[in-house]
Amino acid sequence: MDLASVYYLGVTFLLFGIFVAIVVRTYSRKNRERGEDPKYRMMHED
Amino acid sequence: MTERKMVVFLIAATCVFLVGTIVTMVVPFKSINDPKLKIATVKPYTPLQLEGRDIYIREGCNNCHTQTVRPLLADTERYGEYSKTGEFVYDQPFLWGSRRTGPDLARIGGKYPDAWHEKHMKDPQSMVPRSNMPKYAFLTHPLDTSLTEKKMKTLGFPYTQADLAACQGKTELDAMVAYLQKLGTDIPWREAAKTQLVGELKNPFLDNVTVLPEGKKIYDANCAQCHGADLKGGVGPSLVDIDKPDADIFTTVYAGRQATGMPAFGDTLGKERTWKVVTFLKLRQRH
Amino acid sequence: MDQQQGYADDVVKGFILWSMVWGLVTVLIGVLISLQLVYPQLNLPPFLTYGRLRPVHTNAGIFGWGIGSFMAFFFYITQRLTKTRLWSPGLARVQLWLFNVIIALAAVTLLAGMNRSKEYAELEWPVALLVVVLWVIFSVNIIMTIAKRKEEQMYISLWYILATLVGVAVLYLVNNVSIPVSLFKSYSAYAGANDANVQWWYGHNAVAMVLTTPPLALFYYYLPKSTGVPIYSHRMGVIAFWSLIFMYLWTGAHHLLWTPVPDWVQTLAMGFSVMLIAPSWASVFNGYFSMEGQWNQMRDNYLVKFLIFAITFYGLQTLQGPSQAVRTFSAFIHYTDWVPGHVHMGTLGWVSLVIFAGIYYTIPKLYGREIYSVGLANLHFWLAVTGQIIFSITMWVAGVQQASMLHASNPDGSLHYSFMETLIELYPYWTWRSIAGIIYLASLLVFLYNIVKTISAGKAQPAEQKA
Repeated sequence: MDLASVYYLGVTFLLFGIFVAIVVRTYSRKNRERGEDPKYRMMHED
Repeated sequence: MTERKMVVFLIAATCVFLVGTIVTMVVPFKSINDPKLKIATVKPYTPLQLEGRDIYIREGCNNCHTQTVRPLLADTERYGEYSKTGEFVYDQPFLWGSRRTGPDLARIGGKYPDAWHEKHMKDPQSMVPRSNMPKYAFLTHPLDTSLTEKKMKTLGFPYTQADLAACQGKTELDAMVAYLQKLGTDIPWREAAKTQLVGELKNPFLDNVTVLPEGKKIYDANCAQCHGADLKGGVGPSLVDIDKPDADIFTTVYAGRQATGMPAFGDTLGKERTWKVVTFLKLRQRH
Repeated sequence: MDQQQGYADDVVKGFILWSMVWGLVTVLIGVLISLQLVYPQLNLPPFLTYGRLRPVHTNAGIFGWGIGSFMAFFFYITQRLTKTRLWSPGLARVQLWLFNVIIALAAVTLLAGMNRSKEYAELEWPVALLVVVLWVIFSVNIIMTIAKRKEEQMYISLWYILATLVGVAVLYLVNNVSIPVSLFKSYSAYAGANDANVQWWYGHNAVAMVLTTPPLALFYYYLPKSTGVPIYSHRMGVIAFWSLIFMYLWTGAHHLLWTPVPDWVQTLAMGFSVMLIAPSWASVFNGYFSMEGQWNQMRDNYLVKFLIFAITFYGLQTLQGPSQAVRTFSAFIHYTDWVPGHVHMGTLGWVSLVIFAGIYYTIPKLYGREIYSVGLANLHFWLAVTGQIIFSITMWVAGVQQASMLHASNPDGSLHYSFMETLIELYPYWTWRSIAGIIYLASLLVFLYNIVKTISAGKAQPAEQKA
């Protein structure tokens, strides 16, 4: 495998890692209420 | 707190935009500007050609005509050699377009004589029956050259006083035709693609009157615009008393004649239909 | 204090009404240029030729109707989701004036032949500079309002709104870099394949930042408001948001498949285009799942009908788009009528149906009146959907037929049809497309009548709804 391929794969996995991190954080138990709160609050106004 | 969060969000969103932007928009400059892709024979536009190009832009020709031949059989057979990166280095802006309501023009240069273009621009339907192109007869007014030199300087194109003088007394239509005739001709593809007809050329329909109706149909659709519906000539010469061997006529129609502006019809007609039109030209005198 | 009165809504009314005017202009010109393709004698050179009118059609549609109404809705939605009065109503008024001046200038300059030729970035540099000023004052107003918000967390619509502000700014600035020759003429700063690549990075992301993120902001707001039920999942909206704005920027070169732009850029664009199905359909599912137990509203509530049809067209659009971005299929249908068929499913189906729903919801609220006629709203809906479907289907069939003919070859390797033989086959389809456009135009007239009557003669809303 040449350097370019390693680099290419590395970037791919890095991006995928960031994606997984966002998903995990968004769907963590801790974030559950907070993450869904805006959708209820937006129903209140006007 | 709320302000800080929004600022963080804006920065994060901008960074997310920039990843794809850098990889697919910024980095490609390096690939595209690779010296290996340069083509030495590609020349900048002359003042007259550049003015023609600006009229092409002004009239929005790019809304119906593309200027890129793709490396696909249907494209290369119809329009010519596929387009190369190095051919467009003087195109500011590029004019590749996105929709072929009309045919691709990347290699239109040298396909037809100037007189064909002039007649076609003034009245497209007279040259291409049932075409839906608007009439551009109004382009026959004088070309405004007040900005020509400034334009050449802005783009850094070389020019001489003689080049500028060549624009004097020209019409917008002249400039447009000069531009069209330049398109795609910087690489000698027409010579390279010139059909080599080898072996003995023998008319399979010799004296076969049954192909006359079809030969006439092919003539009316492809030849009549220049040689006249009655064969008495127009942009091209009269064919009434054509007195040449079948093989010669075949070669002219099939491969074209660069010197006289006769386009090649081999790609559109194929051999069989070319022979039919040759038969029509020869036999109609007797029938 | 009445909450409604605390918001700066006059400018919302102004933008809505003006965007409707430009929307009507867009469709009128669209019908005209569609007829010009069939009857070339309808071209009136020099000013009213297809080549000059087509950019007026696209600019009026994207900027006049699209951006104009989004400015209205961004002002409306932002104030409500932040529970904060607009930062500067005075600046917003200036913005409305400037907006209309720009659209009018755009129409005049384009018809006069002042044209940079780059699609959706045609405006010559003085007008483009005005657009930059317009966008800056718009962005400052929205960003300052959100910064001073009284709701700590931002609802997903605000995310899309902020992304739009940043995205459009970056795209527009980069693609409009020009070298002026005179007040009316400039040349692109980039040449050839570079210019093409910058242009379609811009062009495709105009689709993202003008025709996707703003209508999604509207959809996420107006669907729950219309059904009375919250959106299915806010967190799924968040995941879809980041994925969408990340992936979109890679896909521009799918407009340039088989051209001299480097192959690797084309391949990346192809891959990311296919991946975009995921975040696009996350929003579609978010819409559908929100309807659980509420599907009866498709019958009873015309707003929901507009919104669910809109998101369905969005779903179809985001499947068809990636399929066209694949090299083999692109080789076949690119440069044919298939593509305008695709584009108009997005603009007439997805974007416009969302905007219609937004206007039907917002106008009665702002004027304290009930909609003049639900029957007419339903008539509008069916005419619009019928027109759109006839439009797109005829274009797809026309595209496939022409592509097949263009690629057909004889046994000896020569091509079977000349270009003109393929073109004349399109005339019947183009006639049908014009008919579809006229049906859509009729739907728009019904809509305008209904809105004008609502404002002038609608019944006053019951007090409890007004609050």
